[in-house]
Amino acid sequence: MTDTSTRALAARATRPTGTPTRGRRALISLGYFVIPIAVVIGIWQLVTILNPPAPFFPQPFAIIANLWDLLFGSPKAVQQVFYGEFLQTVGRMALGFALGAIWGVIVGTIMGLWRGARETINPIVEFLRSIPATATLPLFIILLGGGDDMRVAFIAYGVSWFVLINTAQGVGAIHKTLLDVGKVFKISPARRIFRIVLPGAMPKIFAGLRIASTAALLLAIVSEFMLASNGIGYMLVQAQGRFQLLNMWSWMLALAILGLIINTLLEWIEGRILAWHRQSRART
Amino acid sequence: MTENTTAQAALVVDHVSHVYGSGPSAHHAISDLAFSVQPGEFVSIVGPSGAGKTTLLRTLAGLLKPSEGGVIVDGNRISGVPAGMAMVFQDYSRSLLPWLTIEKNVGFPLEGKKIAKADKKAIIQESLEAVGLGGFAKRYPWQLSGGMQQRVAIARALAYRPSLLLMDEPFASVDAQTREGLEDLVLKIRDTYGMTILFVTHDIDESVYLANRVLVLSRPPARLAADIKVDLPEPRDQITTRENADFIRLRGHVARLIHSGGDEE
Repeated sequence: MTDTSTRALAARATRPTGTPTRGRRALISLGYFVIPIAVVIGIWQLVTILNPPAPFFPQPFAIIANLWDLLFGSPKAVQQVFYGEFLQTVGRMALGFALGAIWGVIVGTIMGLWRGARETINPIVEFLRSIPATATLPLFIILLGGGDDMRVAFIAYGVSWFVLINTAQGVGAIHKTLLDVGKVFKISPARRIFRIVLPGAMPKIFAGLRIASTAALLLAIVSEFMLASNGIGYMLVQAQGRFQLLNMWSWMLALAILGLIINTLLEWIEGRILAWHRQSRART
Repeated sequence: MTENTTAQAALVVDHVSHVYGSGPSAHHAISDLAFSVQPGEFVSIVGPSGAGKTTLLRTLAGLLKPSEGGVIVDGNRISGVPAGMAMVFQDYSRSLLPWLTIEKNVGFPLEGKKIAKADKKAIIQESLEAVGLGGFAKRYPWQLSGGMQQRVAIARALAYRPSLLLMDEPFASVDAQTREGLEDLVLKIRDTYGMTILFVTHDIDESVYLANRVLVLSRPPARLAADIKVDLPEPRDQITTRENADFIRLRGHVARLIHSGGDEE
């Protein structure tokens, strides 16, 4: 039997009888999510049909159709816009997020484990993270130029704080007994970090990663407002400059969908990695 | 103490003193404590609350460096956690890893050690069966009751195959009936594996019931108030042992020592 099947068994065991099955519950939660959005879109559509013209607020169905057209309308569009703009933004964001998260976990762990390190680093962290990350973009451009490396570094810098602070808190809150267990059984220091410290801090680390993922998308778009030649942020300012409001709205919609996908993905990963945490809390 | 007895003893506490902090706020936890434990002995350590029992145990485990004196395990003066020593902690809910299954928790001490996978599996299974949890390998700690969790912690210590087992008030937070079962389990395990056991407790009856010897600590700074030999018939039994006149006399003796703070009656 694998871990997953035990977890599934445990989940089945904890569910009180008479509650809906997993599929039904998913359908219900999907309904709660879809229906309010559908209502808003319906009203919006209705208002724009009844009250033409509304140049700043295109019809929602027109926005959706236009976005589909932009991304997948023709083989050329897929090549130029989907790969050339959409995936550019996603790539920068993902790389910046990953680097920032790794850096945040490393520094956060050091701060969480050693009081001396915490007391030395904390004032610097508190000061630097008080500068709005977006305000550091001009500095990053001067230091690293207008290329992708600058954008990735800027995103990584901005998101690292959320992961760092949460990791430091999570690691610092690990009970001393748990650390003693590692020492008593002569587990090597590296193993103690990867098998005790990081799993123990994982619930907190994930809380940081969630905020960081939102910030990563935000910073990716902002970084593409300046000195960029592609990406969704670049397309947004281009559309604004040319007064192509339908395109502007379409790109905003694309970002909303992207944000949702990232959040759902992270939630799914978290649900798998932290099943023990959720279930053990449900017990007490 | 001659070198000869040092070599024979499983554990020698060599005039250990420990002070927390310094200056006027310093806390003298242990003062010039000296005793030795022979291989296979079951020694209980009792004392008034705050008597430095935990400080002593952390020192023996090599987790704390004493201000003065030292600890000798199997003839070697320790400078860190000694090999062949396992520990069962008081707070089972904090000593088990909640993200690992029972079998992985029990196998945790073997991680990174050079043991074949099949052997590890066998050791884990045997250890779980020794504590009566053979069927719970795939569960998680938080799915088990407190008493069962402490059994897992004992199985984990067994998987490490220690020659010396330290137990820090291991049954302080389980109910009375569960506690009796766990006490007899520890005695059974000692007989099966032939370990030396040092058992810290604040429960006077428990200290006498389990041990071959009871060490009574005084109020802090802790020193050895008494070293009492327990010569009760084996195997111990929860009902008849506790009815035994010697048991009643011994527990009275220990209780008086503790209530007087370690001064002679």
